[in-house]
Amino acid sequence: MDVKTLTKLTKWMETTDLEEITWRSGDEKISLKLNNSPEHSHTIASTMEPVLSPSIGIFRFARPGKTNLLKEGSSMKSGQELGVVEVGKDFKSVTAPANGLLKIISIEDGKPVEYGQPLFFFEPK
Amino acid sequence: MFKKVLIANRGEIAVRVIRTLREMGISSVAVYSEADRSSLHVRLADEAVCIGPAMARESYLNIPAVISAAKLTGADAIHPGYGFLSENADFSAACLDNGIVFIGPSPKSIQQLGHKAEARKMAMETGVPVTPGTKGCVGKNFKTEAEKIGFPLMIKAAAGGGGKGIRIVREMARLEHEITMARAEAKAGFGNDEVYFEKYIALPRHIEVQFARDTKGHTLAFPERDCSIQRRHQKLVEETPSPVVGKKLREKLEEAAVKLANAANYVGVGTVEFLLDQQGNFYFMEVNTRLQVEHPVTEYITGFDLVREQLLAAAGASLSYTASHSVPYRGHAIEHRVNAEDFTRNFAPSVGRVEEWTLPGGHGVRVDTHVYAGYNLPIYYDSMLAKLIVWDQTRELAVAKSARALKEFTVKGIKTTIDAHQLIVADESFKAGKTDTGFMERLLNPAEPAKVA
Repeated sequence: MDVKTLTKLTKWMETTDLEEITWRSGDEKISLKLNNSPEHSHTIASTMEPVLSPSIGIFRFARPGKTNLLKEGSSMKSGQELGVVEVGKDFKSVTAPANGLLKIISIEDGKPVEYGQPLFFFEPK
Repeated sequence: MFKKVLIANRGEIAVRVIRTLREMGISSVAVYSEADRSSLHVRLADEAVCIGPAMARESYLNIPAVISAAKLTGADAIHPGYGFLSENADFSAACLDNGIVFIGPSPKSIQQLGHKAEARKMAMETGVPVTPGTKGCVGKNFKTEAEKIGFPLMIKAAAGGGGKGIRIVREMARLEHEITMARAEAKAGFGNDEVYFEKYIALPRHIEVQFARDTKGHTLAFPERDCSIQRRHQKLVEETPSPVVGKKLREKLEEAAVKLANAANYVGVGTVEFLLDQQGNFYFMEVNTRLQVEHPVTEYITGFDLVREQLLAAAGASLSYTASHSVPYRGHAIEHRVNAEDFTRNFAPSVGRVEEWTLPGGHGVRVDTHVYAGYNLPIYYDSMLAKLIVWDQTRELAVAKSARALKEFTVKGIKTTIDAHQLIVADESFKAGKTDTGFMERLLNPAEPAKVA
């Protein structure tokens, strides 16, 4: 079997559900196996990075008596407060990691959060 | 009874508590640090919440985070396990303030009994023997004070602790020199040169009595545990009953524990530690106001589930047995603490991935652990991997069972203390029950003469 046929065969295999085929002709035997494992098949290219909760507690967009109007797509400055996590009588600040765009808000006001839970997705500029 | 209990701990003890909760039909909430995401307690619990980063100070010791986790999950009580926040009066108080039941004694009991000097005072007031010593700190008449106590004696720094600031004096001729040195050291180390004397007990046994007490005033004392096999004040092997304690002494020990628990109006389980000298005199040492690592040996010979007794007491119910102060028991139990340490390299900690993990089993064998094959040992916490507990009808049979179970216990990928335990159970003086707190030193350094008084 020549390289051209092999390439064609591999291309065709990728369009099917087949993961492995064996072709036999006389003494000649060729096995083809596609590298389909999840780790290899796709890499998601993303410039976004998650902003994680600094503590377990209740998430609030603003400290008591204040308002904070965040919108997906807003431009943010490094260190700007995105919200707070209330733990006991303490408020832990959640801030923008860099200058950039706030792409996704994945938390609602007043919801419980764990330590390390992604709250926002951010695209640094 | 509680509906949902949060376990403010990790490792084998969290697994141990979750098991009893499940048997009692109570939901369990595990808390974990980032380093413990794949720990067994997280998988076994009904719910699990991440409370902070790997460093214990920011997770397992973080009171607001633990309280917050209990409130967010709707837990009505917190079991503190041992270590971490288990003997922290502020934590017990924080639970109270937030309407959560702390499964353990009140802040007041923790303060009274957890504080060494306070507990010693309470022991004296209730007629429990304490190590002979000076009432307070010694002044110019220290020679007269020393004569009253007798030699050898210990000079202890009033502000010291954790084994620091202690000097042993064997004769009057050395006293003046030693006290000058001790004062200078105390001044430099603790900013306070006050010292006091205590009798030095040579080659003592470490004996302790488990007790339980409910809100109605029922108090139970369990047969003594012998924890003399220690290395640098860390217990390695514990057994119950002690091979040297007879019925009469046992009654006296149990009576002392009951007296103390009643005097402190204690609610929950606790342990009174004593030193037992070669002549059979016992002296009060301290009280641990929590469940102890070695509690399973007591469970094995008495049939009690001590975590269940804790839950009953904390919920305001009666203990499961109230017919008398002392409880019936049967046979002999031994516990071996299996740590991730290389005993051939002076017990250096061992870390890594557990490649093989084959546990012993069969009649009279119990293993409490949070480890499994493929588990990656986090470096942030203590090195205990498992507790192997064996039971049999007599001490001799139990020792044979230990040897058999230790041989079955196979761990690959990391170094463990299983080898050290095999040495211990093969030792003739251990087999004969002749142990004291100097045992490990003699076992590990057989060539050197034992450093005794």
